[in-house]
This record gives sequence, structure tokens and C-alpha cells, in this order.
Amino acid sequence: MSDFSVIGKRTAMVDSSGKATGLGKYTDDFSVPGMLIGKILHSPYPHARIKKIDASRALALDGVVAVVTGSDAPNKYGILPVGHDETALAVEKVRYVGDNVACVAAISESIAEKALELIDVEYEPMQAYFDPEDSMKATTDLIHPEKPGNVEKDYHHVFGDPDQGFAESDVVIEGRYIANEVTHAAMEPHCTLASFEIDSITGHPGRLTVWSSTQVPYYLQHKLSIVLDMPMSQIRVIKPLVGGGFGAKSEIIPLEIIAAVAARKAQAPVKITYTREEVFWAHRGRPRTIVDLKTGVKKDGSIRAVAARVVQDGGAYCSYGVVTILYSGALLGALYDIPNIRYDGYRVLTNKPACGAMRGHGTVNVRFAFESQLDEAAARIGMDPAAIRNRNLLKPPCLTVNNLRVRSYGLPECIEKVVTGSRWAERKGKLPRGRGLGIACSHYVSGAANSIIRSDMPHSTVNIKVDRDGGVVIYTGASDIGQGSDTMVAQVAAEVLGCSMARIRVIAADTDLTPVDIGSYSSRVTFMNGNATLRAAQAAKKLIAEAVAKRMNCSPEDLIFSGDKVWKKGAAEESAVAAVAAPTVSGHVDGQILRGSVQQKRKDEGVKERMSFEEAVVTAMDIQGTLTGVGSYAPPPDARGGKHKGGGVGPSPAYSYSAQVADVSVDEETGEVTVHKIWAAHDCGRALNPVAVEGQVIGSVWMGLGQALQEEMVWKHGLLMNPSLLEYRSASGVESPDIECYIVESIDPEGPFGAKEASEGSLAAAIPAVANAIFDAVGIRLRESPFTPERVLAALRSKKAGAKKLQLTRNFDPENPGSFREHGGSLCFKGKGPVRHALDPAMVRPGTTADSAEEMGGAD
Amino acid sequence: MSLPDFQVLRPRTNAEAVELLARHAGDIRIIAGGTDLVPSMRQKLFTPKFVLDIRAIAELNGIRESAAGLSIGAMTTLSAIERHPSIRKNYSVLREATITVASPVIRNMATLGGNICLDTRCLWYNQSLAWRKSCGFCIKKDGNLCHVAPGGTKCWAAFSADTPPALLCLGAQLEILSPQGTRIVPLQDLYSGAGEAPLKLAPTDLLAAIHLPAASSGLHGMYKKLRIRGSIDYPLAGVAVTFRNGTGKVTADSIMKDVRVAITAVNPAPLLVKEAAKQLEGKPFNEETAELAGELAAKSARPLTTSALTPEYRKEMVRVLAKRALLSLSQ
Amino acid sequence: MSKILITLNVNGRSHEIACEPNTLLLDCLRQDLGLTGSKRACDDSSCGACTVQIDGVPMLSCALLAVSCQGQRITTIEGVAEHGSLSALQKAYSDWGGSQCGYCTPGFMMTVNALLSETPDPTDEQIGAALSSNLCRCTGYVQMIQAIKAAIRAEQEGRAAKRT
Repeated sequence: MSDFSVIGKRTAMVDSSGKATGLGKYTDDFSVPGMLIGKILHSPYPHARIKKIDASRALALDGVVAVVTGSDAPNKYGILPVGHDETALAVEKVRYVGDNVACVAAISESIAEKALELIDVEYEPMQAYFDPEDSMKATTDLIHPEKPGNVEKDYHHVFGDPDQGFAESDVVIEGRYIANEVTHAAMEPHCTLASFEIDSITGHPGRLTVWSSTQVPYYLQHKLSIVLDMPMSQIRVIKPLVGGGFGAKSEIIPLEIIAAVAARKAQAPVKITYTREEVFWAHRGRPRTIVDLKTGVKKDGSIRAVAARVVQDGGAYCSYGVVTILYSGALLGALYDIPNIRYDGYRVLTNKPACGAMRGHGTVNVRFAFESQLDEAAARIGMDPAAIRNRNLLKPPCLTVNNLRVRSYGLPECIEKVVTGSRWAERKGKLPRGRGLGIACSHYVSGAANSIIRSDMPHSTVNIKVDRDGGVVIYTGASDIGQGSDTMVAQVAAEVLGCSMARIRVIAADTDLTPVDIGSYSSRVTFMNGNATLRAAQAAKKLIAEAVAKRMNCSPEDLIFSGDKVWKKGAAEESAVAAVAAPTVSGHVDGQILRGSVQQKRKDEGVKERMSFEEAVVTAMDIQGTLTGVGSYAPPPDARGGKHKGGGVGPSPAYSYSAQVADVSVDEETGEVTVHKIWAAHDCGRALNPVAVEGQVIGSVWMGLGQALQEEMVWKHGLLMNPSLLEYRSASGVESPDIECYIVESIDPEGPFGAKEASEGSLAAAIPAVANAIFDAVGIRLRESPFTPERVLAALRSKKAGAKKLQLTRNFDPENPGSFREHGGSLCFKGKGPVRHALDPAMVRPGTTADSAEEMGGAD
Repeated sequence: MSLPDFQVLRPRTNAEAVELLARHAGDIRIIAGGTDLVPSMRQKLFTPKFVLDIRAIAELNGIRESAAGLSIGAMTTLSAIERHPSIRKNYSVLREATITVASPVIRNMATLGGNICLDTRCLWYNQSLAWRKSCGFCIKKDGNLCHVAPGGTKCWAAFSADTPPALLCLGAQLEILSPQGTRIVPLQDLYSGAGEAPLKLAPTDLLAAIHLPAASSGLHGMYKKLRIRGSIDYPLAGVAVTFRNGTGKVTADSIMKDVRVAITAVNPAPLLVKEAAKQLEGKPFNEETAELAGELAAKSARPLTTSALTPEYRKEMVRVLAKRALLSLSQ
Repeated sequence: MSKILITLNVNGRSHEIACEPNTLLLDCLRQDLGLTGSKRACDDSSCGACTVQIDGVPMLSCALLAVSCQGQRITTIEGVAEHGSLSALQKAYSDWGGSQCGYCTPGFMMTVNALLSETPDPTDEQIGAALSSNLCRCTGYVQMIQAIKAAIRAEQEGRAAKRT
């Protein structure tokens, strides 16, 4: 056990009482005087030129204050510097059903909604592309004219000698895997409130304050500055409590810009809260992905080569797409020792809502394919699936073939934990038919070693102010989105300063008050902001220690800070010190009001051996005047990866590791898969707060199970068929299994107290663990997720001689998927039918075919 | 998403309610639990000028037992039904169906009358106004084409309530009030089979009570539901099965009498599978009979792509669920 | 649309509110009374984030018209804390990671609070059934169940201590 007093202790989140009482404020809980409600008009067409927008009827409606359109803010932006392809509202054309066309600011929601119906927009439909492999063949009506073949970006990497690797393999397995699209579905819909204030000097609208449900307040400040043509110093972004992000709020979402543009035009504060449907349209989730994977192994189980061709259906805008497609290739490395890798990645534009970053960004769908195929390889050479994973471990410290630096590596212990926990050796392959166990591993970065916007600036900065009241205020740019970063920084500072958590106040994610942190994404916050906090606290401690050392006639190194006390090593009562750790009441002891007399008293007392934290602070302030510690973190140069094109994505100062075993049953009559239990081990370096780590690991595994079993965005020619929490089926408590979490601590040499990421790495393993368990249970290899009952049943039937085939869609085989499935309805039916509604985009949409009646059921 | 503009009328008695319905016929919707109607109104599927809130009418609420059977007020909540001792004991199939509806909190609000009168559902229909605009609307609302049966002129939205198949098995009768007086109608006569207008109710009709005949008391019964999520979901298919046997205890090869099988969520109306009643009558309780029940139930199912999961799969599951519902009744 | 005057009893206090007749209880609580603890998350009455208690029974405030709730006892999350401190359930949620982002927490509190007032010592199935009315996207429900069990233990210990 460590001898830490705060680190490693199960600690309630510092903001948890506000959440439990409902008093904590999320963005939508704020109102300001004179505030208007903004509502957005969305495109009904997947791809169309806007010929005319006439808002005069809407403006005439009583209660409507302003209508804004693309021309009010035409500057382009995007989260990536290479992907500035979005505008606040459509300029010239719309690119997906749900694209943003206009916004009404009115005195109430219902008036704003009524006004939307009064905006007349004339569209000219264009050829639309819905399937990425079709889209790549496009020559006309490109989604973005500057992207030929609708390819956002493609990368072709070769590391080592893959051909040689396959040649020396005893078994080479190839297969196509398809992962359907999933989305974050955070419980809090996106919300932004934007308000300008009048500048006292100029008398004109000046500073803008934006409250927003964001994971990246500083990026928001930056993009607002670009679109509004305002200096960043005139923009204040405040992140209140955020009701879940999972990546959905890790970039700038249209409403965040639109609210500000509308507030400027309406000359009044504007709040926009997305409906749930709009949240689905804003999307930025995990793209549906085709993975053509090839793995070569020797008889001894060692992997000799891997080749992957990955096609991602990115939707209509770049978003994080370039990063996603790079992660998909880069993180083939750093989990196992793979000497030869070939990677061809295509990020393709389609006329659907943009995909972006979602928990496990870029790694998840490829990991599903890889871990599934690894099991197939193990079966072919007659090796136990756990053994083949143990056979291919890295030997850190090392650099992988694609230049990823691995220093701490808890994967072996993770595998051992879940193998023991699940009684793998006794049970694997020995359960009755219909029940099975599956194992899989995964990993993830602890923040990207290179920031999105290339710069030499630190990625995280923290200020700590210690004042004469003995209170410690941490100013951090880190964005707590429910993962507990506020608590993390409080713990780190409390541990360093030897003070109680009750002394600590965290001021976070307010661009006016807090120093820069680039945001909560890529699982970077504990590692990077934790390190910055650690350094800031150490700097503050150093100032205190120097002053106290003088008073105690010793060197600063001889002082111990613990339990709200500071004492000289070897001083009496040392052991009794840590007992009570409550701040004392000002005035009773060393309060600031009596500071002068206390100072005098201390002088009279002469040399001391120990003092309270407050007394130590005041002692230091006698010398320093103010007590501030600053700290920052930038990843070390040797962790920043290779020099190849795209080599900047994938490198991280440290990687987390995860292993999981799934225990499932398959109902062979219905195809329903029941997960009984998941054993999940996660190497997080060190668990700064075990409650939070377990929560993140369990939450990741659970979200992975959603993608494995029931979550899926269903499309019909770009139209999202299930844009609601009713139809997009996030698991309820009933079918959510017990997840047993084992924390593995590899103590990373560079992490704060050895900590690494805990919030994303476990997600990816859940999907292949379930796939592998289904194979163990009933012998079918599902290569398309999610493993819905109908897919499972179709696969079972196709295996069983004499059984009636279940033809779900033409040529559909979940064991050998070919292309993405569309919803079976008939949006684009073009036969003899009734006259279509005047607003029906299908009437004029070219290049589409009628669906055959094969998809229709019940025809007997 | 805001609600359309409407006035709320809150009558205290059935007579008052019937009078208000008559006065505003065509411009008024009855709100019961609100769990389906409110979201539908937010999607502008209904934009009535008046909403008739009948929660305050005491006579519509409660369960009364008599020699004739059980009378359940239309506004009785589904939670009250699942907790009622004599429903649990004598009309167990109704309880089995009730506990699968949505979620416990929704069942605290949702009423039996509301569940019986549930609107049909379709992925092309239960969407926001903006969404429906993007697909050109459909026959059921604002448009004139069907996306699930191309070229068709009929709406195939699926009737998606759980309790009606159970009630059909129990031979439930409805007590309907109107300006013309009170009438008693067998439940199966309520449903038109047309997706766009699933209920044969006049705009002035008020469903007041559901009567379960004493003759149906003590039937063995079970309801099985196809859903993806363990809670909240509407059924993607549902089957209720009831029968009686001479000895009371169901064992292998007990002879089954008064067999009824009813299905839901796979047609525009809940259906009693007539063929099943005919062919299963007097058959021994065993696997083979259960298979037959499944086949007959599946034959009556005509699902289309109105919901998640493919029609072919849902139809297949009607077969499995019917079989399993029956076999689960062995003691 | 012109407003009407209604009277709502919320958390033991009576409020006269002028609102439009089509106002949802949820909007009335959040906008007219400033009780923003009840959350809006789904628009289709599926997620439970807006759950309040009506005469002690958990219901969805997004499917109720404010005007229909007159004469009933409405309890929101703001009315749950005991004597200005966290209730045992709220404290347990804090300690056991029952909340992460916290957006669904008020809804769960109202559902679970009703379960525990009716059934102080529920079975695992009863806890599972109660949780099935609300969606959470962070926790996978595991730590929430741990929290509820811890709250039950704390309540039992509290009662035992009172007796001795």
C-alpha cells in the first residue's frame, strides 16, 4: 500500500452534492434577463443548393426578434486546422438531412418554432451519396468541391516488411468486418447561451460571454473568434456542469456558434438547446466502418504481420475525421508486438451527419476486427485465446514498429486478472452449448502527444493560489464532464500540499479565470492536467517550505507536509499528527484578521518544530506577499512519434491497457445474446481515485456492450430512422450485466503519481470479447456489429443444415458482411404510386433506385 | 419541442366529459396518462384545439369486482392493474402483459384505456414535423404515400400496445359512452385494421370501462413480448395465450380448452388468431401443440418495416413467443 | 396564447403561477419556479430524467400538463434533501460513484426514493425494476446499484442506532 493520504483513496466527487440535490447548474439551467430562445431550421434534403431564403414571413410574426442565415457569419471553421469546412449556417448548399439553414431568435420556444415554419427556402436537389464506397466513385456533385472522389483524406502506411511477414506466417487469415454507426447519446442535450455586453469605452456591443455544454471551452473560444471576427480576449467561455460528453462535445457543435451569431443580430442574449433529434443530427459519433483485415501468425502464436484497409463513412464534414482515420491505423501498434504493419485508411465524405470523436476514438472498430481475427487465428493453430495474447506481449520500455513509445505496460497483469476472475482455464470451451466465454484486449492513449493545433505551448496549465485563510484555490482549464477531473486536481494538490480536501476550491474551465487547457478528450486530462496541477502544487509548496524551513532552522527537504500540518522530520508526535484534518476557524487560531499580532507572536515564540498548515501559509506570506504556484505540462519530445505523414496521431506519453472476459448465453431459437458478466481489468497506471476509475472502466465496458449488442444508427438514404432515445436503444438497467472491475497499477514513470488514462481504453475490448464469447457458445463468427438477435439468428440458421434461412436483407450474411445495410423502407420508391407530398425530397432526387419487395416481410 | 396551442378542459364527471366531446368534436383529443399523446403532440402528429383531461373524473378510475366479473375503469393506471390481487389471481395474462409495458414510472401514469386506444406506430410516422417533412410525409399524417408498402394506398403502421392481446384472450368488453348513451362493445370490434385510423370510435365516444367476464376468470395465461431493451420499449411483436384445462393443474398432455392466442405489434390491429382457437381446442398440452400454436400465430402476423428489427425476424419471433408462452404455463 | 392562473403545491409550498394551458409540468417547474433540478433529455418520454413524484408516486413531468397537477402534492429533487443535508441515498450516490455527469441523477433519485419509502429493504430484482425507468449513459448502473445498497445499509444502521 502507498503511504499517500489522499491519492488512492476512495473519494466522493467534489461536485457530487450539487448533482444529488439537483442544485448543480448545467447550461440549460441558466437564464439571463432579456434572454431569447433560438430555434434552428434544418435541411430536409441530403444534398441541395440553396437558391433562396426568404424569412420575411417569419420576421413578421409577433415575438420574433431576428432570423439569421449563413450570410450572417460565412467564415469557415472546423475542429482541425486541416478541416475548416463548416459554417455556422449553410452557405450556398446543404449537405445532410438536418444541416443547419437558419435560426430564429424569439421570445419563446413555441414562437420560434412557429417562425421556422414561415421561412421559405428554395432548394435545388443535387446527387447525394450515402455509402462510402459509392461515394468514393463520385465525379459530379462533390460534397466539398475541393475533395475529389469525396475522400476527405487517405493514408497509406507501411512499417517493417508486411509481405515478408505474411510469407513467413504459418497461417494467414483474411476477413471483412463491419461496425455500424453509434453515437454518444449523452443525457444532456447540447445547449449554449450567448450574451454580449456593451463596452463602456466604445458604447457598442463588446465582450461576449458564452455558457456552453462543451468539453473544449478554449477551442470554442478560438472558433468563435474566427467566425465572429472578434479577438479571443473579447470572448469568455464558461463551462458549467456538463451532462456527459463521450466526445460529442469535444469539438464545436453548430449551435455554439449559431447562438452567438443570433445574439449579435438580435442584440439580446440567446439560448439554444437542442432537441434530442437535433443531438442525433449534430452527431459526431463513431463512423460506420469497413475493416478488411489480414493477420499472419506462426504456429507458436507469434503475430508476424497485419494488414488493414479501413473505410470510414465520415458524413458531410471533416470534423475529427483525419484524426480518426489515423488513430485506426496507428493504434494497430502499442498493444501487441507486431513487427510488420500495412495500413490503408480512407476517410470518406457522405451526405449524412458528420462523424467525429467518440469514446475510444478511432480504435474501437479496428480493435473489434483485430481481436476477433486473433481468436480465429488461435483456433486455426489450436492455441488458447488467452495464450495467444500472452504470446504477443510487448517488452517495454520500447518503441513499436510505428514509433509509439511504450514505457508502462500492465497488459500481462490485466490478462492474468480476468483469466483468474472468470475461471477461464476451468470453464473456457467446457460450458454447455449456448454458453461461452470470450476474451479480448484493448488500449488507449493518455492524451495525444501532439495537440490538434501544432504549437510549442504546453497542453495544460494550472495556477494555484494559497491564501492567508489557509484555503487553496486551483484554477484549471480542465473540463469536468462527469469523469471527475475537478476532483482529480483537488486530490493531486491536496496530496502535494499535505492539506485536507476541505481546504481546496476548484475553479475550472472559464476562459476569463483559468489558464489554458486544451480540453477533455483523448483521455488526456488526468495525465496532462494532473501533471500541471502536480507541478503547480509543488511550486506553491516550495515557497511555503522555504519560509517554514527558516522558522524551523532546517532545510526545506527536511519538512513533511501532511494532515494539514507541517513538521520537521523526526519531530515529536509525528505519528499523531495526521489524525484530524479540518480547517480551523479564522480568528480562533491563526486567522488572517489577527495576522499582525500572530506575526508578532510567532517572532516571540522563536524556533518551532511543527505548525499548522494555516500557520505555515501565513509564515510564507510574510516573506512572499502572495503565494502562487504555476505548473504546466507538455509531452516530452521523445513521445511525439515518427516523422511519416500522419505520424503525429497515435503517439502518447503513455498508454492504458485493458483485458476483458465476457460470459454470454445465446438463445438459439431467438438469436438473443445475454451477457451474464464481464470481468474487466484496466491498467490505469495508478488509480488516483478508485471510485472514479472503476466508474470510468465500468462505464466504458458498458458503452462497448451497447455497440456490441443493441446500439445502431439506422439509415435510409441519409435519413436517420431512429433519432430518439426511444429508438436508439441505450441499455436500461434490466439488461445491463454485472461488470467486475480490476484495477491494475503499472505506475507510469511520467504520469502524475504514476497515473494514466482510465476512461476510454476499456471500451474497445468489450465488443470482440462478446463476439468471441458468442463463437465459443454457438460456433458462429459475427463480423458485423451490433450482434442484434436477427443477425445472430440469421448466422445460426445459415450454419444449420436444413434450417429455414433467415434472409434479413438481400445477400446479407452477418458472418461475411459485404456492405452497409440500409433500413428496409422505401424513401426513394419511384414506381406508380400516389402523388407525393410537395415537400418530398425523394420526388426530385436523382440517381436512386427502388427497393425490391424482397425486404418486405409477412408476404405469405 | 413545444406543444401545439390548445385549451385544457377538465371535466369532473363522465356526463360533463361526453358533453364537452360533443361540443368540440373533431377539435378535441382525450388525454389519459399522456405518455404517448404528449410526445405525439410535440411531434405535431396531433394539433387539437382542445385537450380533454379526464384524470379528475373519479368514476373512470378503479377496479370493481362483481358476479359478472371485473370492471376496470378506463383511467385505472397500469401499476394499479399489476398490483391488483384478483387480476393477479384470476386474470393473470393481463398482469403478465401489463408488467411488460414501457417502464414502471410510465405505468404509474399510463392507463388501461389509453393502452387500448394507443395510436398505431411506424418509424416513418412517429417522428418530428421536421423529420417527416424530409421524407415527404406519409399516408397516416400530412401525406399520401406509404414508405413501407411502396405504391400502396393503405397505412401499415403497427398497433403496438401490450395489453390488448391479453384482453382479447379474456374476451374483454368495452363500455363506451356517447351522447346517444352507453354501449357495450367486444374489444375486437374496436379495431379497424387500418393503420391510419386504427380505432372504430366516433369523435364523441368516451371509453369508460373495460369488463372482464367471470367466464374468463382462472384461465391459464401468459404474454411474451419481443423487445430489444429490457425496459421502456414498445413491443416489436407480442403474443398472449390463454386456455383452461379440466383439472386446473397444467401438466404434460393436459387437455386444453377455450384456447385463445392473440398477437400484437405485427399488424395494424391486435388480432385473435382464430385458426389457433379452432385447431388447438381439445389438444393435449405438449411441445407439438405449442409448435402448432406458434405456426398459426406467425401465419396471422404481417409485419412490415415499421419498426426496428426486420419484418421477417419479427414474424419468426411471433412463432417462437407463442410457443414459449404456451410452454411456460406448465406447472 | 393567453395565460391562465394555476396553483401548484411543490415541495410543500403553494405557488400561484400564470402559464399557458399547454405548459408541461417540467417547463413550469424549470422556467416558472426556477426548480431546474428536473431535467429534459429525450422529448419522447423515454428517459426518466424529468421524474418527479406526484402524491409520492414517481411520474414523468415531461408528459404531464402543469394545469392537470393542481391539487396534488408535487415533489421534485429539490425537496428531497433532509434538513439541509444530503439524504442517505444522496450521500451514498456521492460516495459510491452513483453519479458521474449527474444529469440523470435527479430522475433516479425520485424513482429510487419512492421505491425505498415503499419498500425499505428491496430485493435485487426490485432495485433493478426501479432503475429500469430511467436511462443513464455514464455508469452502466453498476455503481448506482452499489450506492443504493449502501444507502439501505446506512438507513438500517441509523435505525438500529436509534433503537439502542
